[in-house]
This record gives sequence, C-alpha cells and structure tokens, in this order.
Amino acid sequence: MSNSQEQSAIQEKVLGILEEITGTGEIRNNLDLSLFDEYVLDSLGLVQLIVSLSETFAIKIAPAEVERDQWSSPRKIIENVEKRVAQK
Amino acid sequence: MVSGNNYHAYHNVRQRRFCYAQLYLSSILIFKFKQMIIEKINYWGVQNPGHIAHRSGGKALTYGELLQRSNAVAAFIREQLQDKEPKVPVAIRGHKESEMLIGFLGAVKSGHPYVPIDSSMPEERVEKIIQTSGATLVLDVEKISEITNSRFSEASAPSTSIGPDDPFYILFTSGSTGDPKGVVITRNNLESFVSWMVEEQKFSEQKEVFLNQAPFSFDLSVMDIYPCLVTGNTLVSITRDDVSNPAQLHKTLQAADLTVWVSTPSFAQLCLMEKTFQKKILPKLRKFLFCGETLTSKTAAILLERFDQSEIWNTYGPTEATVATSSIKITKEIIERYPFLPVGYPKPQCNIYIYDEHDQPLESEKLGQIIISGDNVSPGYLGRPDLTARSFFKIGDLPAYRTGDQGYLENNLLFFKGRMDNQIKLHGYRIELGDIESNLETLPGIRSAAVIMRQNNGTDDYLIAFIVDENSNQQTEFERTRTLKKSLAEKVPGYMVPKKFVFMSGHFPMTTNGKIDRKKLMASVK
Repeated sequence: MSNSQEQSAIQEKVLGILEEITGTGEIRNNLDLSLFDEYVLDSLGLVQLIVSLSETFAIKIAPAEVERDQWSSPRKIIENVEKRVAQK
Repeated sequence: MVSGNNYHAYHNVRQRRFCYAQLYLSSILIFKFKQMIIEKINYWGVQNPGHIAHRSGGKALTYGELLQRSNAVAAFIREQLQDKEPKVPVAIRGHKESEMLIGFLGAVKSGHPYVPIDSSMPEERVEKIIQTSGATLVLDVEKISEITNSRFSEASAPSTSIGPDDPFYILFTSGSTGDPKGVVITRNNLESFVSWMVEEQKFSEQKEVFLNQAPFSFDLSVMDIYPCLVTGNTLVSITRDDVSNPAQLHKTLQAADLTVWVSTPSFAQLCLMEKTFQKKILPKLRKFLFCGETLTSKTAAILLERFDQSEIWNTYGPTEATVATSSIKITKEIIERYPFLPVGYPKPQCNIYIYDEHDQPLESEKLGQIIISGDNVSPGYLGRPDLTARSFFKIGDLPAYRTGDQGYLENNLLFFKGRMDNQIKLHGYRIELGDIESNLETLPGIRSAAVIMRQNNGTDDYLIAFIVDENSNQQTEFERTRTLKKSLAEKVPGYMVPKKFVFMSGHFPMTTNGKIDRKKLMASVK
C-alpha cells in the first residue's frame, strides 16, 4: 500500500470512529470543525475516542498524555493518529 | 455550648487570644459530647490553624483562614439581612473554589441556610432557583473574596446560629415539569449523616486527604466536604480544567496524594481507562467511597485488582435523605456472591422498607418502592407543599420519604433496581427527563420533544432527544442539532443537554394508553 493510500485508509477509519462517538456525520463534511466549541465532543467522548483509536490502530495513546487542544478537530485527530502509526 | 456571647470583636491580639482560648475549650467539650458541625470545623481553625483545609486549582486554604474568613462573611451577611427572617437562604455561587466553602460556613454562622449554585448553571435556571428559594442575597466567589479581603481582621464570630431543626442547606435538583425543586436539609439531617460517615469509615484526624470530584452544588460533594472538615483533614478538588484535560487530571490526582476517594462510579471508570491508574500513582489511597449511581461488579473487581490496599464502599441514597442512607464494603466475596451489587445496610437511626403500590410493606426479597425513614429524612421541598405531601409522610414519629426507586431487601441488605418513573441518573447526575423535554418544548419551532437515556455500560451512557419541529429555515440536521444544543444549554446545566438529536416528522409513536412509546423510539436509533 502506498503512503497516500495508507493515509486515506487511516483517515476513513478515524472518521468512522469519530462519527460513532459523536453521533454526527458532519465531522466528514468539515475536517476543521471545532469539536468542543460546537458541542460535538465532550471530555468523556474524548477519552472514549482515545481508547478506541489506541485499540483500532494498536498505538499507544495514554489519556494522561493527551492535551485537549491537539485533538480539537477531525483534521488534528487524523494527523495525530497518522504520526503515531508512522512511528510504530 | 458555644454561645454567641462568648464571641466578641477582637480589637487587639490579647483579646483575640483570650477569645480563641474560650473557643478552644468550648470546642473540646462540644467535640466530645455533641455533633455540631460548625463548632467542630472551628475547633480545627484554633487547634491547628496552619493545616490545609482545601486545595483547588493550585490555591490552598488553611483551617485558620477558613475560620476567620467565614466569620467575616457571617458578619457581612448579618449586616445585609438584619431585617430578614433567619430562615431566608443565601445563594452561594461558584464551582469548587475555597470561597464557596467560606460562603457556606459564613451563611450558616450568620443563621441562614445556603443554596449552592454552580457557576456553569445557565442564567435562566439560576433565576428560577433564586426566585423559588426566596434568597435576597447572592454571593459569588469574587464577592466573597472581596468581603474576606476587606474584613480579614474582623474575625468576630456571630451571635446567632441555626437550631437543630432549622435548614442548613437547600439543594436544588431537577424537577419533572422543567422547574428545579429545592430539597431542605436541616442541621439534624446533616449531623446524622456526617456522624455516621465519620464513625463507620473511621477517618483519622488531620491525616487524610479526601478527593472532591462533585461540584459543590451536587449532594455527593457533601459526602466529602463535611466528613473531611469535621475531622480536620484536607479536601482536594479537581477542577473543570482537570476533567476536560486527561493529561492534567492524571497529574492532579497523582500530586494530591489521596487517602480517601469520593466520586461517582462513572468518574472512577473514566480514570480506569488509563492503564497507569493503579496503586502506584495513589500509594496512600485506602478507601473508595461511591455514591450517586450504580456501581457495577466489573468496575469494583478492576479496582480491587489495581488497588489491593484499598477498601471499596458502595452507598445509596437520594438527596431527600441526605446524600446516603445505606452502605456496604464491597469485597471479592460480595462480588462473587452478588454479580449485581447490593447498595448496603441502612445507617443507624434509619429504616428502609419496601412498599407495594398500595403503600403496604412487602416481605423480604419482594420488589417494590424503597421507603426511607429516619432522622436523615428532609422535611420536604421548599415552598412546595404539594410535592412535599406527595413524597413525604410519617412512619410512627419518624419522617419518611417515598424514593420512587425500586428495590428489594434480602436479610436487611438493600438492592436497587432502577426508577419507577422518568427520573434517571447520568454519570451521577439526577435528571428528570421531563425537565429536559419541557425546556426543549419552550424553544422556537419545537412542537414536541421526548428524551431517553441510551444505556451501555455506565461510561457510554448518553441522552438522545427526539424532536418533532417545524424546521422553517430548512437547516441541515447538524445545524438544527447545534442550534438546539446551544439554546438548551442556556436553560439547563450542560449534563442535561442530549448528545444526540433525532428529528422526526408528524408525531411520536404512541402506546395504546396514549403515551409516547419510548421503547419504539429507542429501537428506532442504532
């Protein structure tokens, strides 16, 4: 799989998880959607998201390391996961 | 007894020392023979004034400061309310700041009960609470800080205090018609609860560090505030910033060096998602105290495994019976014997009965409504004799309360089996679904609203709102959801705003009795 194909597969999986946790497909329409300001994700949802991403991609994301600002939009979350998958 | 005449304005150091000495001696007597909360907390302010009473958001308050500052607030309140009835409450507005505690004690020392109001509460709801409570004085954190800064030297204790049957605090909870209702808790109610907790849990004096997870407007916080302060221990509040930022929460918990954990089970479940949440980061923790919602055997088992040095206690009780009414230590044996955990044995001076639909007591192991009777039962709802008459009555000479909870007793051990109505518990918060529905229906364009709770395993539980609306602006579902969430958040607390909105045309499915068919609604979503 090429790099861009891999990135696209990661993006699709991340958006699928995010859609399930937030209960809205809007996260696909606007990757810069401000998840916390727009009442889409709360602190509990953030922890659920981290746990789910860790299991799906077999990457280590300890909730204790998570700064909320770095996870505040679908694009930032995708970039975060891509970086961690590449470091595996 | 500490009479008001024993307290005088301290004009100089000698006089102050003399008054402290009097207070000290009086407090020792009271400490030994009576359960008087304010005097016990005062005692620590004299006995060990430098000991930390409360930490919150990087700030610390000592017992000496708590004593002096609450006296200053009491003097201010007395000046402001000198022509008012003593039972007129004072609203104290904030979140978990030390000023809130100073305000609570100041109000009670001035002879007035307090009404705690969280700073995140929408203005419209705050106005309803203030109006219903009859409070004419509202003190927020800034005001309390200003009073204590300007009157710090004026450490005279007030000459009035509340009687055993007078209200100590009034706590507002969700009401089914959309208006919050105020539960009156008297000094006797609170003392009954606190003395039981201190005795049963064997808290050491001046050695414990308690976790405060719940906002001070939520009755779970009473389980940590007062048992902690009367024993001269340190209360550590986790802030909103901590909760919304997992990295910060982890650091705060680790730095707190806790010995007593008081929270909802949901909060512990949230912490357990972090694999390093175990004995190593809280080596001195010796006790978990849970209240506010169902503790599952799975959560208890994981906690026992990760914190093998700590006890786990499950407790149960509605706000109307002062925080908790029953308790049980959860051990491996209890988990093996009861996969659905019991909520405990009744506290002393309290009886629990199970009644059928005709208000007749049921025999052991039969499912019915849980009735609580004893000295911890509130006198009722403030200014609502109609609601009070419906839920409160007497068994013999003792006050009793119909909880609306279902359960059964097995050898006097209580098992909780959910609600009989549309009241739910979400992450420890008590919510009337009708409260959310009524508030949604006041929003423009909404024809009708129904709210249900989607239950998964505690941490994944969430609210879904079903809406029949006009959608005259032809907005997308996301836009409609966003608009409704924002509008509703101006009327009700954030924890009452549903996570998901489902828009329907026409009308809701109905049962043959003409009620909204909530089962069908539930089945209609993934």
